[in-house]
Amino acid sequence: MSRDLKVGLFIGCTVVILIAALLYLATGKGVFEQTHTFTLSSRSGDGFAAGMPVVFSGFDIGKVAALELNDEGLVLIKIKIPDRHVKWIRSDSSFILYRPLIGSAQIVVSTVNLKSPPLAENQIPQVSIVNDINDAIARIEPVLEKVAQIAEHAERLTRNLSDPKGDLNRVLGNAEKITTNLASKKSLAEMAISDEESLRSLNDSLKKLKDITNNVDRLLIKVDKMADRTDEQLYGSEGALPQANVILKDMIGKLQKLDKTIDNINTISSDASAGTRDFEILRSDIDDLVDSLTDIVKKMEGLIGTRKNPEFKAP
Amino acid sequence: MISFWENLGHRATMLFLAFADTIAFSGRVFLRIFQRKTYSSAMREVLVNQIYFTSVQILPVFLLVSIVFGSLLIGIVFTLLKQFGLTDFIGHVLMGLIVTELAPFLTVLLITLRSSAAINTEMAVMKVNREIKTLETFRIDVIDYLLAPRVINGIISIVLLSSLCSIVLLVSGILFSRLIFGMGMDVYSKILLISTNFSDIVIALVKCGIFGFFITLIPIRFGLRASHELTSIPVAVSRGMVNVFSAILIIEVLSLVTKLF
Amino acid sequence: MTQNYRLQAAPVSSDVPLISNQEAYLNIALIKAYHENMPMREARRLALELLDRLGLAHIALRRNPALTPEERFYVMLLRAAMVRDARILIDQPFKMIPQLKDFAPVMAALKKIDDLYFSCHIYDYSWMKEKYGGAGS
Repeated sequence: MSRDLKVGLFIGCTVVILIAALLYLATGKGVFEQTHTFTLSSRSGDGFAAGMPVVFSGFDIGKVAALELNDEGLVLIKIKIPDRHVKWIRSDSSFILYRPLIGSAQIVVSTVNLKSPPLAENQIPQVSIVNDINDAIARIEPVLEKVAQIAEHAERLTRNLSDPKGDLNRVLGNAEKITTNLASKKSLAEMAISDEESLRSLNDSLKKLKDITNNVDRLLIKVDKMADRTDEQLYGSEGALPQANVILKDMIGKLQKLDKTIDNINTISSDASAGTRDFEILRSDIDDLVDSLTDIVKKMEGLIGTRKNPEFKAP
Repeated sequence: MISFWENLGHRATMLFLAFADTIAFSGRVFLRIFQRKTYSSAMREVLVNQIYFTSVQILPVFLLVSIVFGSLLIGIVFTLLKQFGLTDFIGHVLMGLIVTELAPFLTVLLITLRSSAAINTEMAVMKVNREIKTLETFRIDVIDYLLAPRVINGIISIVLLSSLCSIVLLVSGILFSRLIFGMGMDVYSKILLISTNFSDIVIALVKCGIFGFFITLIPIRFGLRASHELTSIPVAVSRGMVNVFSAILIIEVLSLVTKLF
Repeated sequence: MTQNYRLQAAPVSSDVPLISNQEAYLNIALIKAYHENMPMREARRLALELLDRLGLAHIALRRNPALTPEERFYVMLLRAAMVRDARILIDQPFKMIPQLKDFAPVMAALKKIDDLYFSCHIYDYSWMKEKYGGAGS
C-alpha cells in the first residue's frame, strides 16, 4: 500500500468518523429538525433572555428564539418548538416564567387538556411570572431585621466593653487589684484573710475544733455508756449529765467564737470574689465540721429528750 | 541599581520584540497557507510525507495510548463522581472536561514529544548542513516548501488525532458508565446529547488547529535559528521545545478564557 | 537578461549540498515538481530515467550520506540540469570528486544529458588546467 493511499485512508476515515459523530450529536440535539415559532407576550422583559429553555413536565421542548417590543409596549417572546414537541402546546396551555432561586430561568408550559386545539401561530398568550427570588427576599426580610437588631445590640455591647469607665473595665480593674494583693501574701489562707493575726486566730480555731471533735467523740462514748445506767445515775446531782451540760456550754462558747471567725472569712471571701478554689475547700471543711457538731448535739438532744424530766436544754 | 532597571528594560523589550516577531512570522506563514501557488506538487509530496510520519505511522500506538490512558482517566473520574455523589454531572464532565479539554491536551503532548522535537532537529541539521541555502540557491521558497506543509500537517494531524482520541474516550465511557453506574447505552447517549454544547466543540477544534499550527511553526523557527556550527543544534532544539511547551500552556489558558465569555 | 541568468543558474558545488533527508531521485525530481509543478509521479519517473541514463539507477533510493563522492556529484549535476534552460555552473569538480584523474568521465556524463541544459560552465583554479586536457573556459 503506497504512502499516499495510507494518508488518504487515514484522513478520509477520520473525517468520516468525525462528521458522523457531529451529525449524530446534531441530529440528537434537533439541529436539523423543523421548528414552529409561537409568540408569547409579557408586560416586562425582565427575566427573559434569548436561548432560555421552554420546559414541559420537566423536559426541555424548545427555547426562546428572540425578544421584541411591540407598538403597545408589550414584550413579545418568540419561542421555537421542534415538530415533535408541538403537540404539548395547546390553545389552553399556560406559560409561566419561572425564576428559581438557584439555576437559570425557564418558561414552563402546562397544558391541562391535551385534546384542546393546538395553539394558533397568530394567538399570543401572556406569560405569568413566578419569582422564587422575590419570594425568598420577602421571606428573608423579617429575618434580616432581626439580624440587624442583633447587630445593633452587639455593637452596644462592644461599645460598653470598650468604654474605659464601663462595667467590664471596672471589674477587670478590681480583679487586677485583688490579683496584686494576692500575689504579695505568703499563703493561701493569708491571701484570703489578708492579715497574719487573723491567720493565727484561724489556726487556733482549727486546733480548737480538733479538740472539740475529740471531746465530742469521747462524750459520745460516755453518753452511750450513760444510756445503760439508771435514771438516778443520769439525773442525779453527781451524775454525768450535769458534766455533759458543762461541756456542751463550753462547746457552745467555742462555736460562737468559731462563728465570728467564719463570718470574718465570709467577708474576706466575698471581697476576693470567691477567692480561690482552695479557700472554698477550706471553708467547706469547716462547714462540714460544724455540721457534724450540730449532728452530735441533735443526737444528744434526742438521747436526753426522751427522758421524763428534761432538765438539760440544748443551746 | 540603574543597571538593574536598564537590564530589566532591555530584557522586556527583547522579549516583546521576539514575541511580536513570532506573531508577525506566524501571520506570514498563515497567509501563505491560503495562497494557491504554495501548493506545488513538491510541497504536496512533503505534506503527504509529513502527515504519514506524524499521524499514520503512529496511529496504532496513539490509539493504544488513548485507549489505555483514556480508560484510566474515565475510570478515575467516574469513580470520583460516584463517590462525591455528582452522578448528575457525568455528561458535563465527559463533554466539558474529557472530550474538549483533556483529549486535545493528551494529543498535543504526544505529538509535540514525537514530531515537534523531530521537526526542530531536522531544521537545525538542515541549517547546519547548508541545505536551507541549497533551497534558496535553487529559488525554492523555504516557507512554501518547508514550513507550509509541516504547519498544515500539524493542524490536520492534531485536529484529526484529537477527534479520534475524543471518540475513543467516549466509547470507553460507555463501558465505564455501565461498570460504575450500571448505565445503559441509551441513557449514556442521552446524557451526552444533553451535555453537548456545539460552541464548546467548535472551540475545541479551533484550539486543536492553533495547537497544531504552533507546535510545528515554533520548532521550525527555532531550528532555522541554528548557526553553521554543529554545537548549535542542541541549543536550537532545547530552546524550541521550551517555547513550544510555553505556547501550549498559553493557548490552553486562552481557550479557557474564551470559554468564560 | 540578468533576471534570466539568475533564474537559469544551476550550481553544482560542495556549497550547495543535496537535501539529506530525501533520496537521490527526489533531490532531482524536486526542481521540476516545485518550479514547473510537474506531478510528482512524473518528476520521479524523469529522475529515475536520467539516473539510468548515467548508469546510476541503483542509487536512486540512497540518501546523501550513503553516496560516494562521484555518485553525489552526478546526482548534483542531474539536479542542476533539471532547471529550465539551465546554465550549469560546476565549481571545482576535482575537489568534489577527489579520486577523479581527469575530466573525461564528467564530460561524458555532460554529453549524455546535453539535451537538458542550455550551457555548462566549469570553475576551477588555473593550476588545475592540465586535468581538463588543456581545454577550459
